[in-house]
Amino acid sequence: MMVRTNWLGEFLKHSVLLAGAIVVLLPFYLMLSYSLKSPAEIESNTGGFVGSQEIMTDRRCIKAGKPAEECDMRPIVYNYTAAFSEAPLVRYMLNGVFVTVSIFVIQVLVALPCAYALSKLKFWGRDVVFGLVIFCLLIPVHAIALPLYIMLAKVGLTNTYAALIIPWTISVFGIFLMRQFFMTVPDDLIDAARMDGMSEFAIVWRVMLPTAIPALLAFGIFSVVAHWNDYYWPRVVITGNRDLMTPPLGLRMFKSDLDGNEYGPMMAATTVIVLPLVIIFLLAQRRFIEGITMTGMK
Amino acid sequence: MGRSRVHLWFIGPAIILMMGLLIFPVFVAAFLSFTDYNLGNPSFNWIGVENYDRLVSRSTYKKMFTASLTYVLLVVPISVALGLGAALLISSLRIGGELYKAVFFLPVMATLLAMAIVWEFALHPIVGVVNDILRTGCDVGWLHALLSGSWLGGDPLQSWYGHACAEDFPLWLGDKRYALGTIAFIGIWQGFGFNMVLYLAGLTSVPRELYQAAHMDGADSAWERFRLVTWPMLGPTNVFVVTISSIRSFQVFDTVEALTRGGPAKSTYVMVYAMFEKGVKQNLLGIGSAITIVFLGFVLILTLIQVYFVNRRVHYA
Repeated sequence: MMVRTNWLGEFLKHSVLLAGAIVVLLPFYLMLSYSLKSPAEIESNTGGFVGSQEIMTDRRCIKAGKPAEECDMRPIVYNYTAAFSEAPLVRYMLNGVFVTVSIFVIQVLVALPCAYALSKLKFWGRDVVFGLVIFCLLIPVHAIALPLYIMLAKVGLTNTYAALIIPWTISVFGIFLMRQFFMTVPDDLIDAARMDGMSEFAIVWRVMLPTAIPALLAFGIFSVVAHWNDYYWPRVVITGNRDLMTPPLGLRMFKSDLDGNEYGPMMAATTVIVLPLVIIFLLAQRRFIEGITMTGMK
Repeated sequence: MGRSRVHLWFIGPAIILMMGLLIFPVFVAAFLSFTDYNLGNPSFNWIGVENYDRLVSRSTYKKMFTASLTYVLLVVPISVALGLGAALLISSLRIGGELYKAVFFLPVMATLLAMAIVWEFALHPIVGVVNDILRTGCDVGWLHALLSGSWLGGDPLQSWYGHACAEDFPLWLGDKRYALGTIAFIGIWQGFGFNMVLYLAGLTSVPRELYQAAHMDGADSAWERFRLVTWPMLGPTNVFVVTISSIRSFQVFDTVEALTRGGPAKSTYVMVYAMFEKGVKQNLLGIGSAITIVFLGFVLILTLIQVYFVNRRVHYA
């Protein structure tokens, strides 16, 4: 059977996909473009992608009583300096890193030994525990945010890092994923380790952990993306304390603080927050797509 | 033997956390949904099913269910169809498939709240680019004729586009007729790439021989191949994609909170936002808990539907 390329068909397919791609990329284009342009260009939708970059005067700088020549700058400089000076962006980003990394590390510390026990140890009640894990998979953590919030408020933990991290320390999905993965690890490997006199703890961390790296990587991508981007939970437990805000929440505060037409700095802040994940995604695209779909069921 | 009890150390923390952070809160919510509890008040009263009664009788909550269901019914079919369409097109491309895949997956990765703010700017009625582009189209004769239907001899003012050109384009998020649709549009924009990737995975598992067999039997057109082979073989993927999208869209919150706060006129007052507004902002934990329980019920039903179909190994015959 000879396969002939249907050039007209290819052309039509590419046209449809290209049209879709333009709509998908539109907000990313606008975000970058707005973060570079002057307020006037943004409001009149002129200046193309980068704008004319004419020197503009920073009104806030004049108000602060600085000499006029220090307050003249290119729109791109103005937007990005304003983004960093008007909001503690660096602090938000560090909070984001701290919270996502802590969540992931604790999730692994809890899930890995449990998954090992569920797949490789024989003990009374094992099926009951696994049943509990499956049952918990049915409960979306976002849905029980309100009772969790009440519990945290009762023990006085709202507005703390602990509040941002605690509800996510248990990932039943992580347990499930690791258990399925460990089921494929041959028992001989573990028996050999026991022969060598390794304790069960050492087996978990020195034998099972290294074999689980691919699964852990997928789970890590899923976990970090989910919690870096999460807005709902931080919005619930962090009220007003800017020092604890994660990037999405900080951005939201930035937005409500604005007097209305500060699109440039706003979009510069948005770019700074969105870009890290997007760049890592573009660099390790296949892994990301695999990781997120593999773990997509949650 | 030391090994006999070491498992307790392994499963203990997980069990405690599951009980404390997942199971117990469900009971807390169920319990509080029958009370008028609020934070800062040491005691509470049993009020029976009053909270649930409110959920079914008050117009606010009717609007809430309407908004949530409409949102799900808009987002799920469209994002599933777009995901399937994109996957079919991409998998049949000779070159460039990887590029489209990355582009369509980008919104899944990007911080939704941040992108929602960009969309809000883009959809701004006066300075936003969306209306700007639409307005530009009004001045291009053939485009106006095409979009308003006047090339078929219709009255341009009768059509949506022609009418909007004469009056003005919608306020989108500020207009109660368009707000939910606009929020749904952002949801579709964000989520269809996820469905696409799931479908691409599903498509690779369709055995090549089946296409050859279909060819032997005289199924030559692309549509015949799709109808006879691809679609039936995608049965399990379909169930999975539909239920996952339903659960995800039931949980919509970020866009609503940042862009409309449930308004205008409660047209975007979806369940998770209502839960947040009543429970957290207004400290009405009883009614908030009742919404939580109803919400959990919805999600549970969707998950059970999924389990039911997956266990039956759906292949539409």
